[in-house]
Amino acid sequence: MAAMEGVMQDQSQLQNQQQQQQQMVAPERLNHAVQQQLNLESVKTRAISLFKAISRILEDFDAYARTNTTPKWQDILGQYSMVNLELFSIVDEIKKVSKAFVVHPKNVNAENATILPVMLSSKLLPEMEMDDNYKREQLLQGVQNSPVSSQIEKLKARIEMIAAACESAEKVLADTRKAYQFGTRQGPTILPTLDKAQAAKIQEQENLLRAAVNVGEGLRVTGDQRQITSALPVHLVDVLAVSDGMHSFSDSSGMYMKNTPPMSNSINNQGSMLQQPTGTPLLGRSAASPSAATSATSFDHTTPSPLPYANSPRSGTSIMNTPSPQQQVQQQQQQQRQKMMQLPQHQQQQILAQQQLRQSSLQGLGQNQLSQLHDLHGQSQQKFQPLHGQHQMQYSQPMGHQQFQNRQLSSGHVQHAMGQSQLNQGNQLNRHLSQFSSAANTALFNAAQGAPNTQMLPNMSSTMSSQPPVPRMQFGLAGNNSQRSHASTVLNDQMYNMGVSNPGGMMPIQQQQQQQLSSQGAYGMQQNAQTLQSSMAALQNASQNHPNYAQQRQQNQQ
Amino acid sequence: MECVVQGIIETQHVEALEILLQGLCGVHKEHLRIHELCLKSGPNLGLVSSEVRLLCDLERPEPWTVKHVGGPLRGAGAEQISVLVRNMVESKASKNVLRLFYALGYKLDHELLRVGSAFHFKRGVRITVTVSSINKMLKLHAIDDTVPVTPGIQVVEVTAPAASENYSEVVAAVSSFCEYLAPLLHLSKPGVSTGVVPTAAAAAASLMSDGGGTTL
Repeated sequence: MAAMEGVMQDQSQLQNQQQQQQQMVAPERLNHAVQQQLNLESVKTRAISLFKAISRILEDFDAYARTNTTPKWQDILGQYSMVNLELFSIVDEIKKVSKAFVVHPKNVNAENATILPVMLSSKLLPEMEMDDNYKREQLLQGVQNSPVSSQIEKLKARIEMIAAACESAEKVLADTRKAYQFGTRQGPTILPTLDKAQAAKIQEQENLLRAAVNVGEGLRVTGDQRQITSALPVHLVDVLAVSDGMHSFSDSSGMYMKNTPPMSNSINNQGSMLQQPTGTPLLGRSAASPSAATSATSFDHTTPSPLPYANSPRSGTSIMNTPSPQQQVQQQQQQQRQKMMQLPQHQQQQILAQQQLRQSSLQGLGQNQLSQLHDLHGQSQQKFQPLHGQHQMQYSQPMGHQQFQNRQLSSGHVQHAMGQSQLNQGNQLNRHLSQFSSAANTALFNAAQGAPNTQMLPNMSSTMSSQPPVPRMQFGLAGNNSQRSHASTVLNDQMYNMGVSNPGGMMPIQQQQQQQLSSQGAYGMQQNAQTLQSSMAALQNASQNHPNYAQQRQQNQQ
Repeated sequence: MECVVQGIIETQHVEALEILLQGLCGVHKEHLRIHELCLKSGPNLGLVSSEVRLLCDLERPEPWTVKHVGGPLRGAGAEQISVLVRNMVESKASKNVLRLFYALGYKLDHELLRVGSAFHFKRGVRITVTVSSINKMLKLHAIDDTVPVTPGIQVVEVTAPAASENYSEVVAAVSSFCEYLAPLLHLSKPGVSTGVVPTAAAAAASLMSDGGGTTL
């Protein structure tokens, strides 16, 4: 606004000067060109419009102040910038033309000639001049009347005092800075240094901490110490059920072995193992719980699965894609082999007794048979005694040379006889392993032709890996499909689900094979436990399924 | 992706740092109490074991956070910048995530409890500053039974999420923010040790004082 007024006054001055010139030098006109360039009319209108814009802005501010609303600064700033531009352009235009005008002082005389230029150049605007005078009055309050030199001296004295005060203030600031150890802007910074021992300690701690955060050094707990002895915190209580949690930390398991407790218990119970004589691999279950009865019943719920599933052989700890309950059972059984519990015999036998007649305990029985085989390995050959009605019981009972306290059996002598027959059977079974394996090939072939059993396929791949010699041997043996109609082969077809991968579709020829297979009986014996197991499983299946089985086999043997 | 720097500060100066951060960030501090479980994958999931971190905020136990930290940005340019830019994937998950990872074959590698404070604010980019002490659990999952790994020192982390397009801006924002903390601590890429700052004590004292009205 001051500038605005200044411009207005300039204009009026110019106008005055023009008028004066015109008056003094009547009628001297301005140079026509200059006049046109000056374009006073337009400048006037522009100045007036600018004035109006500014007054509008001021009114807006007043309104804001009265109504106490927050002003929209964007708009105001925009308006202000417009006004600013306009002013600037007006002043610019006039400046261009002002070169044509010169300030011509009226009263030039010898006195002020020398200082006139200085005065002219340093002439303040009126209000500035007023301010100046006012400040001067304040400063020279007491001494305005005395001569100038004394005024000057007094002023100098004042200046010195002020200078001294400033210096002391600076000093104080510098001292404070030093005390607080901030860097001075002018001087060098004084940094305190940690002594070396302290620095080293801190460095060490730092390394520990950084390693802990980034990598986890120093936070690892060994497996032994990872026992949850105290209660789990709140946020982990539902997340980690104790049984799961415990085992997920153990080194041996990444799997959820214990995730099916009812299953495992039942497995423990159903085909509980016998104590083996020394030297034989452990094929047993873990300790049977006292709740054998209940777990047995629970196992019943799982499945009386159809026969094809019953003897899916398992090789080692292979995991199937679609495990049937029996497969799971077998898998867990094999895993638990290594953890054979030393059961007191009577417990095992009790459990055996309770589960003797269960159809669904085939696999367990198969395992039992394996152990029997191992025991009988070195024993003399005995005649195979068909005991048709008692097959199941035979295969589920422990070895003859162990005490048998089977409650469900009627008499002791029967037990003994059965034990004997088991021995016999065990021996005979050895020889027939390979035969059964070939029968399994048959079964596979039939299954491929007939109703495909999807669960067989994964078994095949697994067992294939573990039984390479067996099928290959037998591939060479059988090759003739023509005898498929033979009763025994038909019998075998129905029974076996060995799952040996045999795309060639071998059809074992019973009669032809017998001589060959008997020589391979020893070979079959030498196979690993898993093979035996699978064979035994097949055997078991066969014995369960076909009533004439024993007779047939007898016939075949003979 | 995220940009991350770490620094250490002595426990005695933590309060001063929190005051400074409150002033710089303009937000109040949030209490931090996080149970961090670091899981490593088992051999069934490949030759190279991968690591995943499960974070359970004990102030707000649901949901959990799953975080996978990947490799840092490499190259000459990466070496010149003072901030670590690395791949990171973070997601919320239910509390069953722990079970899920165990079922997948992951095993617990280590766990820690992080107790401290956090400041979340925006300065062009979203930045999170955490000042926390790292505590080790003496027994498995025993969050009430912890001991600090380094009692006298706490760790300060400044992180900011970034994308591959804008990470340079984020880096600039984070480094400029870190300069404000220079009187109290130095921040550097994780793994690069810095030591403590000698002016920390004085800076802390001035921050804790009543605004400089002390008479000399």
